[in-house]
Amino acid sequence: MRRYLQISGLIACWLATTSALSAEDQAVDYSRDVKPILRKNCYRCHGHAKQTSGLRLDSGASALRGGDSGEAVLPGNSAESPLFLSISGSEDYTQMPPDGEGEKLKPDEVAVIKRWIDGGAKFPADEEPDGKIKSDHWAFQKPVRPAPPGVKNKDWVRNPIDAFVLSKLETQQLSPSPESDRVTLIRRLSFDLLGLPPTPEEVNQFLADRSSDAYEKLVDRLLASPHYGERWGRHWLDVARYADSNGFTIDGSRNMWRYRDWVINALNTDMPFDRFTIEQIAGDMLPGANRDQMIATGFHRNTLINEEGGTDQEQFRIDAVADRLHTTGSVWLGLTLECARCHSHKYDPITQREYYEMFAFFNADDDYDLNFPPPDDKAEEFQKKLDKFNEEIGKLDKQIAEAYGTPEETNGGLKKLMNTRTRKMRSMPKSPSGWAMVMKQREDPRKTRVHKRGNFLEQGDEVAAAVPAVLHELPQSETRNRLDFAHWLVDENNPLSSRVTVNRIWQRYFGTGLVQTENDFGTQGETPSHPELLDWLATEMIARGWSLKAMHKLIVTSATYRQSSDYRPDVAQVDPANRLMARQSRLRLEAEIIRDTALAASGLLSRTIGGKGVYPPQPEGVYAFTQNDKKWKVSSGDNRYRRGMYTYFWRSQPYPALMTFDFPNSNITCTRRVRSNTPLQALTLANDISFLETARAMARRITTETSPDDEERVRFGFKLCLAREPSSLEARRLDLLIRQQRDAYASDEDAAKTLWGTDVGKNEDVVELAAWTAFSRVLMNLDEFITRE
Amino acid sequence: MHDQSPELLLQTRRHFFERCRYGLGSLALGSLLLGDGAKPVNAGIATNPLAPRPPHFEPKAKRVIFMFMAGGPSQLELFNERPKLREMTGQVIPESYVENKRFAFLKKDAKLLGSPQKFAQHGESGQHISECLPYLSTIADKIAIVNSMSTDVFNHGPAKFFVNTGTPRFGRPSIGAWVTYGIGSESQDLPGFVVLQSGPRGPRGGAPLWGCGFLPTTYQGVPFRSGKEPILNLATPHGINMGRQREFVDAVHDLNEMRRAVTSDPEIATRVSAYEMAYRMQSSAPALMDISGETRDTLEAYGIEGDKPSFARNCLLARRLIERGSRFVQLYHTDWDHHGGPGFEINKALNERCHEVDRPSAALVKDLEQRGLLKDTLVIWGGEFGRTPQGEDRNKLLGRDHHIDAYSIWMAGGGVKGGQTVGETDELGYYAVEDRVHVHDFQATVLHLMGLDHLKLTYRFQGRDFRLTDVHGEVVEKLLA
Repeated sequence: MRRYLQISGLIACWLATTSALSAEDQAVDYSRDVKPILRKNCYRCHGHAKQTSGLRLDSGASALRGGDSGEAVLPGNSAESPLFLSISGSEDYTQMPPDGEGEKLKPDEVAVIKRWIDGGAKFPADEEPDGKIKSDHWAFQKPVRPAPPGVKNKDWVRNPIDAFVLSKLETQQLSPSPESDRVTLIRRLSFDLLGLPPTPEEVNQFLADRSSDAYEKLVDRLLASPHYGERWGRHWLDVARYADSNGFTIDGSRNMWRYRDWVINALNTDMPFDRFTIEQIAGDMLPGANRDQMIATGFHRNTLINEEGGTDQEQFRIDAVADRLHTTGSVWLGLTLECARCHSHKYDPITQREYYEMFAFFNADDDYDLNFPPPDDKAEEFQKKLDKFNEEIGKLDKQIAEAYGTPEETNGGLKKLMNTRTRKMRSMPKSPSGWAMVMKQREDPRKTRVHKRGNFLEQGDEVAAAVPAVLHELPQSETRNRLDFAHWLVDENNPLSSRVTVNRIWQRYFGTGLVQTENDFGTQGETPSHPELLDWLATEMIARGWSLKAMHKLIVTSATYRQSSDYRPDVAQVDPANRLMARQSRLRLEAEIIRDTALAASGLLSRTIGGKGVYPPQPEGVYAFTQNDKKWKVSSGDNRYRRGMYTYFWRSQPYPALMTFDFPNSNITCTRRVRSNTPLQALTLANDISFLETARAMARRITTETSPDDEERVRFGFKLCLAREPSSLEARRLDLLIRQQRDAYASDEDAAKTLWGTDVGKNEDVVELAAWTAFSRVLMNLDEFITRE
Repeated sequence: MHDQSPELLLQTRRHFFERCRYGLGSLALGSLLLGDGAKPVNAGIATNPLAPRPPHFEPKAKRVIFMFMAGGPSQLELFNERPKLREMTGQVIPESYVENKRFAFLKKDAKLLGSPQKFAQHGESGQHISECLPYLSTIADKIAIVNSMSTDVFNHGPAKFFVNTGTPRFGRPSIGAWVTYGIGSESQDLPGFVVLQSGPRGPRGGAPLWGCGFLPTTYQGVPFRSGKEPILNLATPHGINMGRQREFVDAVHDLNEMRRAVTSDPEIATRVSAYEMAYRMQSSAPALMDISGETRDTLEAYGIEGDKPSFARNCLLARRLIERGSRFVQLYHTDWDHHGGPGFEINKALNERCHEVDRPSAALVKDLEQRGLLKDTLVIWGGEFGRTPQGEDRNKLLGRDHHIDAYSIWMAGGGVKGGQTVGETDELGYYAVEDRVHVHDFQATVLHLMGLDHLKLTYRFQGRDFRLTDVHGEVVEKLLA
């Protein structure tokens, strides 16, 4: 009270001196008089972009709502309104704006605010918040389709991509590299489109096809192969953080493979990327959603689940929702939304409030196990189980509803009930016909509040689902739900999603994206090396109905793509990171593709697509140190030799040969893999049991598919692994090797027998098999073997 | 942090060149290659991301041995004697302590529990250590005990991530990865960051605890398994002896060099050197694990029995690793989660854990000192959090819940001022009231001792520079010698 008196005394004095300045005693009009003052002096920290102390002054309503420390404006009572007290610099308030944040208000401006407050702080009911954020940052502007630039060397240009690339090279006085030879081209294309090496027959066929469109035909054939869906599906599974277990310490198994197969299938049928997006983000909400569309929502069920005892399930649910938002930000928007979880984004125009407005889209669903209809003879039994389960959940829901607003709520009983419910939901009976992990919109969506400093225990204002002001608007909709958000992501006005998507495709083909920071298109990200090309590709993708296959074909048929990847010292001087693309890049194959390549060369590869995860052999003792022993009953038959992407993925102890070659940990989205080069990789390729198996199989293949002539065999094996013919020098070195190994094993037949075990046939010469195994092992360890050139 | 400056690269290359040339085994082929008119083969440019690099400033410690007691050892039974807590045993903890607190298992009306363990003062410094740790008591003057540690998270997995990576979530680089990223490793035939494990099962959280996060994979911790083959795939396949393996490496080398002559890709040189390193590891790692050359006295001092894998054996291996140039060795010993109930009592079960680690951890410090290694080797002992002053009663077998507001660790060696206790808690041992050391402060201090400024050891990822200490952390000056 005393403080109040002091302040009013002060104000009284102050008024006496200022009243003379406001000569006219006319009524203050909010829009005409007040808003311009607030806009000029206050919005910077209390506007749309930023709400320091939770206070926002860019609309009358928000000014009246106040901030973290309570009301800012008391209509009719300026003397007690913190807004007035702080702009007027009363004793108990830091005068606003603070030093360094702008000039203090002039006395007549302060007087206007005072009169507005004292007059009842009226404002128009239909006022729109004024703080619409504009950003000059390139990535927030909708791409405008540029015309391909003119170039000197017109003959080199095969399609518009080349014009953009060449134009840049010409300004640097660099010439592009020559086209790769045909063997390199087919090997490159096979790896890039299918993740498999070409067979010697495929190579021969391509070499024999002298028609002018031989290359285009090859591209079409590869794009039509079902292995295309595996290769590009696996890229997508990286960003989806796909795994077969729950993560954290208990890391129980989960049932996600149907989602993986959905991805493969969607890509094989060239589902347009906008559709691909909508079904994964909100397939469950599509009218009459079918089973596949439900399964597609598995994308965001790839979040971790903490099954550890004593955990607060709400905390981990919120972490999962946050991860869904962060992943969406990375994958479609190329934005680091996670930076705005605890405070407004430091670099990009995204406020903390906006973070939670987006959070709200993902906070309105339940994790749900979709049961497929059971067969008739089991339907009744299953229904009984389900009824019992629903009854138990119903009871819990009732208890939860009752606990709200009672002592239960405050003493933690409510939390406990909710924990019980969350855990219980995971034990929903499973249909004998199969089931899938999906999302399901709640009938009664949760409310979302701002989490102060990112702490979900400190809840701030309630927010409604909305998109950041700096981006395009949410399409007109009553609902403003996850489905609307999905449409918004692939709206043609979205300046980011098309660019981010083509950039990521580009990255797979050249090692680096046109924007190197492929998951940060914000102001801290790198500017594009070829901004016009990026925008041309982005608009082209939309013009082609978001067809991914069309984009692949466009890129791989360009002259840019077809260049030789040989290192060029002249280019390295000017452009060490090869951003200008005066050559292709030599790229080490991805972990799973290394396995596939070894299996393919050896002839062991099973080409079965999809289904449950498999368990290829791995070194003994891998699980010696995990908390819970994982099941790893090594698969037999074809399943032992499936493509690497089908290897069952335990998050707490992934298959070692994959991880050694930088397979993503799959805990969070991975939009670009690291390519390391380590001794542990050498040990894996040289000594791991699965690679020994491929070396042995290749040895048998060599000795059975060719006549007993070293030279022929060397060439045959070499082509199996590298597609090309050996140089005379390489052939001589390999000839030396095979003779050396044959001699060594001939003088130590026991070693040969040990190497081959009991697998030697009656008509087989174990020394020959051992020598050719040693030979195959060398080829499968070459840098070139695991490199796409 | 380090720009790959030309000088540094050159230094690295020279270093590698000298090490690698020996035994390349392609000499016999040299004339053949040259005779063919091809470009001469040379060992060429090898960029080695693990090459030793100078830190930010003169370091006090050159290497780290971090004994991680997984599960959260009870500070109240080991280091922080609280007579008042003993007096108040059986009473409900005053409300003021537990307002707005969250626990994993405890209820708010849980009763206080004084320690059943006896304490005494030790050494000239008079450090308070309980009788659970008789061997450690003999080196009381060499260690600094911190009784005021605090952390942010109270579940095992997240809390372990927090200590190791600076955040409670998956996916950030671990402290060992940060250090090897910062200053590389002295060892050319063993990994720079090695993890050894003992106890009934692996630590909760698993491999990401020593992961490299977004740093290049080269920097991730390599878990050594017990036994002769500490690294997966270290042994050649049956039927391939080391002679064949040498021939294999030579052939791979020669063919890789031929490809390098065509493509000029420097990455091939890195791969060539990786195969050489792998080959050396095949003999150096088993040699490391073979402790038959250690004296009986040494084995006795550590308490190593036979061939059994144990924490004691791992302590000795840690010494052998750092002797061979490894930069960061982390030892996990599990099963410190003493909630009460059979097998988890804060007397019986805790005593067993102490028995397993006390003698070897003290022996390690003494052994390092005898060999002149302690002065620049930082030794750390501690877990992810401590345990509550309130007891947990599980079938009359007493224990304690997870506690984040005050717990204890100890440090010794490289740059640490021994013979002191840092930090003070309130009389119940609930909160750190003096010299509170948060996990980020601890991390900043470890890096500081290694000659690294935790503000400058950064890595750009997703558009921002990341640090081990996030946006926090202050070096604990009191701990510095």
